[in-house]
Order: sequence, then structure tokens, then C-alpha cells
Amino acid sequence: MACEPNRARLLCMLSLTFSFFIVEVVVSRLTSSLSMLSDSFHMLSDVIALVVALVAVRFAEKTHSTNKNTFGWIRAEVMGALVNAVFLTALCFTIVLEAVERFTEPKEIETPEVVAGVGAAGLLVNLLGLCLFHGHAGGGHGHSHGGHSHGAKGKRGKTEKFQKAGNGSAAEETNNLVGNHNSPGDGRSRTDVSCKDNPEVQMNGNAHFDELDHDSSAQLNMRGVFLHVLGDALGSVIVVVNSLIFTFVWKPCKGPNCVNPCINSHATDHQHVNHTVVSLNADKSEVAGPCWVLYLDPTLCIIMVGILLYTTYPLLKESALILLQTVPKQINIHRVNERLLSLDGVLAIHELHIWQLAGSRIIATAHIKCHDPTSYMEVAKRIKDFFHDEGIHATTIQPEFVTFSSESRDSLCELSCRTQCAPKLCCGSADKQKAGVDSKAAAAPSALEVISETPEQAAEIQVRPRTEDEATIAREVESSL
Amino acid sequence: MLPLSIKDDEYKPAKFNLLLKLSGWFRSILADKTSRNLFFFLCLNLSFAFVELSYGIWSNSLGLISDSFHMFFDCTALLAGLAASVISRWRSNDSFSYGYVRAEVLAGFVNGLFLIFTAFFIFSEGVERALEPPDVHHERLLPVSVAGLLVNLVGIFVFQHGGHGHSHGDGGHGHSHSLFNGSLNHGHGGHDHDGHSHHGHGHDGHGHSHDKHGHGGHGHSHGGHEESHCHNELRRSEGSSKQILQGVLLHIIADTLGSIGVIISALLMQKYELMIADPICSMLIAILIGVSVVPLLKESIGILMQRTPPSLDNALPECYQRVQQLQGVYNLQEPHFWTLCTDVYIGTLKLLVAPDADSRWILSQTHNIFTQAGVRQLYVQIEMAAM
Repeated sequence: MACEPNRARLLCMLSLTFSFFIVEVVVSRLTSSLSMLSDSFHMLSDVIALVVALVAVRFAEKTHSTNKNTFGWIRAEVMGALVNAVFLTALCFTIVLEAVERFTEPKEIETPEVVAGVGAAGLLVNLLGLCLFHGHAGGGHGHSHGGHSHGAKGKRGKTEKFQKAGNGSAAEETNNLVGNHNSPGDGRSRTDVSCKDNPEVQMNGNAHFDELDHDSSAQLNMRGVFLHVLGDALGSVIVVVNSLIFTFVWKPCKGPNCVNPCINSHATDHQHVNHTVVSLNADKSEVAGPCWVLYLDPTLCIIMVGILLYTTYPLLKESALILLQTVPKQINIHRVNERLLSLDGVLAIHELHIWQLAGSRIIATAHIKCHDPTSYMEVAKRIKDFFHDEGIHATTIQPEFVTFSSESRDSLCELSCRTQCAPKLCCGSADKQKAGVDSKAAAAPSALEVISETPEQAAEIQVRPRTEDEATIAREVESSL
Repeated sequence: MLPLSIKDDEYKPAKFNLLLKLSGWFRSILADKTSRNLFFFLCLNLSFAFVELSYGIWSNSLGLISDSFHMFFDCTALLAGLAASVISRWRSNDSFSYGYVRAEVLAGFVNGLFLIFTAFFIFSEGVERALEPPDVHHERLLPVSVAGLLVNLVGIFVFQHGGHGHSHGDGGHGHSHSLFNGSLNHGHGGHDHDGHSHHGHGHDGHGHSHDKHGHGGHGHSHGGHEESHCHNELRRSEGSSKQILQGVLLHIIADTLGSIGVIISALLMQKYELMIADPICSMLIAILIGVSVVPLLKESIGILMQRTPPSLDNALPECYQRVQQLQGVYNLQEPHFWTLCTDVYIGTLKLLVAPDADSRWILSQTHNIFTQAGVRQLYVQIEMAAM
């Protein structure tokens, strides 16, 4: 499956980074260098990011629905990407804080050679990680079947099922979306059989769906990891550059009379410090090296933070938009609405919601208003085809009918639908619920309370609580969907 | 069409009037109680942070400076909460068919993540200090610590009492007041105690168990969320700010306990010269924060992962039973129920019915059943089992 290379890469990088973290901690204890200790904590945060990504990948493999998560765990990858992006942002903040601290109180590195060595090793590890994850982050379209083969397989499955009698048409879409393990209650044996028959047909389509979906949502996750590793690599570069410059440019204080002018005060003026000591040994070798070297580190850090934030922002935005249930950017909901309206038999569309579960799994729900049940079957098939063409394979369409009360007047608009639909009803203001009578009669045997189906006036578009049910009629629909 | 006037303003693109936008935001902030509280507390925090920063620069104390930066860091969490409470009131549009209401869940989640990160950071600093204890100056520590504690107590009071409207105390952001002078704890305290009342909320029902402020607000929140788009501003504010407020309150409590921890450790160090008290306090506090954030994270993750709403966990199987007992219904398939924002549940399901069933009646009964359970936006697809 598509997940395997991801997982292998993550595990490999994780073990490398973790062992390097241990090495850094040990070295920092040996050389009692505080900066190396803090750098090792940065490595630890890297480890955590990798763990988060790994967990997300593991979870997202369980695409079958469970009792609590009826959509499966596929969203875990988007969440993993968001968590990584947020951690990266928080890390940037702390780096800024530390950089500012360094600006106000510059510190020098005690043993720059060791730091340079460890920094170089860290850089190697990070570069390796970059190579590992780069292909993926750039948009590994390893599975370039595209949507068409999916569509073809899906359609073939669909037509095959069409011939089977009494199929839950739900089965196809169920399998497309999540594994259908979750039909509560006992269905009749016929439906059970049909559901079992379908899986073989669906398996191919399902597997391909899984791969493609996994790919595009896994990309998000891998991008998060890539950015994290990139941040770490930049950090290592800064460490190496800084320590190299320290080794060659900085003249540390060696003698007992040495004065380090850069450290005690904010002032960068070397000459004004401690005249008593300096005047005696006004000698260059007794004054610690050029002060600007001490400010190099924080400056580079701030530049790195800028780069990181700039590259993390798109990832943050994209995963946040998915989690906010936005309409996927490749779908223009207006156009969808118009094209649906242009289908024969569709009178109105209400409550159209399209959102992205993860990757390329898009879900749509809508209310479709049509003339009568007999035409609905045709219309429903066309609607589902239309959605399939758009790439939306999990749809739930609730039909609403304008039934002309069979006994009398044709021109009555029946429905109580929701408030937003009121102005879209064909008959405008004249639709009192005469049809309410029918439903009340029919509702008699129910143990539940009778639903009053008084629709709002067409003019009133206030938001009302939906305690009353609209008479959404869905008559028998052929299971061709 | 002949132009009827010389003014062609309407054909020009609207000028981006920054001032207008800002004043619009300002008005919308002040309109809602939650965001008003958040905004004032944010101002309070910011001013305190500036005061600390200037004092630190003036007295040349690195600890105070870094502590003030930590406070700024916490202000970002408050800012996120504020932004979320404003954003979630925007109307739905073409890209956001459900509106922006999920912003509050996301904000709570991000706040929780920031808190975890802060806890991790404090823990690491505690370890560093344990290994290499720097010298600590007590004199400047205590007064600033006490001042920070007072600010946080104000925050707790404001957000807990917040409102007839806000049934859940919002957490403010705790400032990392670790009066850090030379690195003391950053105590961002765990919020256990205060948490009890609100945690209780978090634990119990994800939503409806607001003992104190609750019932009034509760009723309101239900009313507010009947509207499918969570648009009803009047009634929405109570229930739907829960996530934001919870995150923010956790932050404030974390900070309060941190301040208390700092005070305690400062006293310990003054009296008994226990230098080790500082890092140990930091680490304890970091653990406390981490532990306390877990319920918020679990809830937010559940909502964002489209999990079945926990408050419906018991009610749903009953509803399925009832639906399947309706005359003509063979089977109920593919139920998907999820939470859009606090107290707003959306569901889809497919019913397999007999050919001769009265599907209209079935539909209305189904809607009724689920409305009683609290799911107001339901999409039922009916399919006939062909003979």
C-alpha cells in the first residue's frame, strides 16, 4: 500500500533522530555546554513531530468505520499535519524569544570545535531526512491513475450491481467511503447477502480509492514532517556556521586580566568598560574578540524563523481549512448548484453542503426538490452521476416532493421544508400545508407524536428551530443509486 | 444603458478602508460578552507584559525580560481565542457552506497544543536548570510574581463568572509568569483545582453539564443551535464558545498555579536555601499542565475527527431501534453523525424501505425521532428494496 514507504521512512528518520538526540545529550553533559543541551531539546521536539506523523499515518490506515468514528480515522493525517504546523510555529516563537535573550545578553560558546562537530553531524542527519521526505513533499504522484480509473472501476461496479436485485445501493457508496461495518440493527437476510456479494466487486475500486486518498492526504502529513526537518536542518546550518566563525574569528579571553567587553552591558562600545583594568593592559590580546560575532547567532536565528514561518503558513492554512469544513477549492459550489438545477426534474436545491473528509474523499449532502416520486428515480440517478463526475462519491440526497395531492387541486405546493426553502417554493405564498392532512392521517399508527407540518410563510425567512418536521417525502427510490 | 449619473462609485471596486474594517471588528468584539471579556483580559495581559518588559529593561534583568516575552507568548493564545470567537460569527458563504462556526473548536485545539508545547518547554528548562543551577535573585521576583498572580486571579474571576451567557468559564491564558529572574519556574500551573468545576464540564458531558451557570445558558444554547448554520447570534454565544473558553481558562489557571509555584519556590529558597526547589517546581508544574490539557484535546480531536458526538452515544442506538421499528423500514444503513460545533449535530443515514411503505411518513417520523435526540440537521436517503 501507499503507506508502507511512508511508514518506513518515518521510522528510519525517527530512529536516527532519536539516537542523535541521545548523543547530543551525552556530549552536552560531557562538555557541560548549555547550548548543546537546548539544541538537543530541539531534536527532541523533532522526534515528537515524527512520532505525531507516524501515529497519524498508523491511524489513517484504519479507514473502516467504527462505532464511534463512522467515517473511519482517515482524518488523522490532516490532524497530524496541523499539529506539526502548530508545533513548528510555537517552536519559532521560542526561538525568537531565545534570540532576543541572546541579543540582550550575548553568550559566547566555550568549546566551538565540539559544537561544530556535533552540529555537522546533526546537519548530516537532517539532510538525510530532507532527501527522504523531499520527494513526498514535492507531491509524489506515485499513483497516477488519476480519477478516471477510479471512476471507471466505480462505474463498472455500479452497473454490475445494478443488475443485482434488491441491492442496498448504499453498499457501493459505503465501500467507497468507509468500510461498511456499521449497519446497526438487523437487516433482512436479503440485504445481508447483497452486501456480502458486493465487496469483491468493490474491493478493487476500494483499494484504489484508498491509495489515491491516502496519497493526497498523506502528502499533507509528510509536508508537515518535511517542514520540521527543514527547520532542524536550518538550525544545524546556523550552529555549524556560528561555531566555525567562532573558531576562526573569535579571540577568547585567556589570561587572568582579560576583559570581555561584550558581555556585561547592552552597550556595544568596547572602550568604556572598566577603565581601571583596561588602561593597564590596553592590549588587543587581552580583550576578547570582535563583539559582532556574538550577535551573529541570534540574527541568523531570526532569519531562519522568518523562512520557517513563511513555508509553514500554507500548510497551516490548508489543514485548517479542511478541518473547518470548507468547500474544497477545486469545487465551485455555485456552478454545482447551477448545473444541478439545470438537470431535468430538479426544481430546487436546498442545504447543499460539500466538504472534504481528507485527501480526495469529498462528501456532499443536499435536499433536492422534484415533481413527483416517479420522476425522482431518473433524476436521482442523474444527480448521482453528476456528483460522481465532479469527484464526489459519497452523497446523501434527501428528496422533497411537490406532490399534487392526489385527490384534488394540482397546483398546490406541498411542502413544508425548511425556512430557507420557503421562498423557493413554486407557489410562493400560497402554500399552506394542505398536505399536512395526509401526513397526519398517516401518522396515526405511530407511537410518536404527530408531526405538524406547518411550513412557514414564504415571506418569513426567519430562522426557526426545526422542531416540526418538514414533510420531506422520499418515496420509493430505485436502488440504482 | 445610459449612465444616469456622473458618479460611478458603484463601478469602482470598493476601497479597502482599513479604519472601517477595524471599527467593524471592534464593534463585533464588543457585541458579544465572551469576546468582550477576552478582549479586556487581553489588554490587561498585554499591558502587564509591557510593564514587565520595561521594568526588566530598565533594571537590566534578563529574567524579567524573558518572562515578559513568555507573557506575550500567552497573549497570542488569548488572541487566538478572541479571533475565533469573532470569526465564528461570520456568515456562511460560498466557500464555507456551514459558516465559520468550527473556528472555535479549532481555536480550542490550537490552544491546547500551545499549552502542551509550553509544558514541554518548561519541563526542558527545568531540566536545564536542575543540571546547571543559575543564581537566582529573589528580590525582584516576589513582587512581580504577586502582581502576576493578581492579574491571573482577575482573569479567572472574569471568565469563570463570565456570564450568564458563558456557561463555561473560559480560561484565560495563563501567563507564564514565571518570574523568571534568572530562570525560575515558568510555572504554568496545571489547573487542577479550578479545573474541577470546569473540568467537570469538560469531562461530563462535553457540553451540557454546566452546573453553575448552566441551566439558563444551557437552554439558550440549545435554542441557539437549532438553526442549522449556527447563525443565531443571540443564542449561540453561550454554548458555542465552550471550546475557546475552556482553552483560555486552562491557560489562565496554568499561569496562576505557575505564579503560586514561583512564590512557593522563592520562599523555599529564601528560607531554606533549597536551590533545587526551583527546577522541581517547574517540572511538576509542567506535568500538571500537560495532564490538565488532555480532556480539552480529546474533545477537540473528537470533534475534528468527525466522531459521533459523545453526548449522543447512548441515545443513538435507541433511535436506530425506533426507526427500524417503523412500519416498512427494513434496514438502517450508514449512519454518520458528527458535531459541527458545540451542541450542533449533523447526521446522514440511508433507509431501506419496503416498496409499499409510506415513505413520507417514514421520513417525517425519522426526523422527529432524531430531533428528540437533539440532531436537528438530518439527511435521510430512502431507498426502496425492490421486490
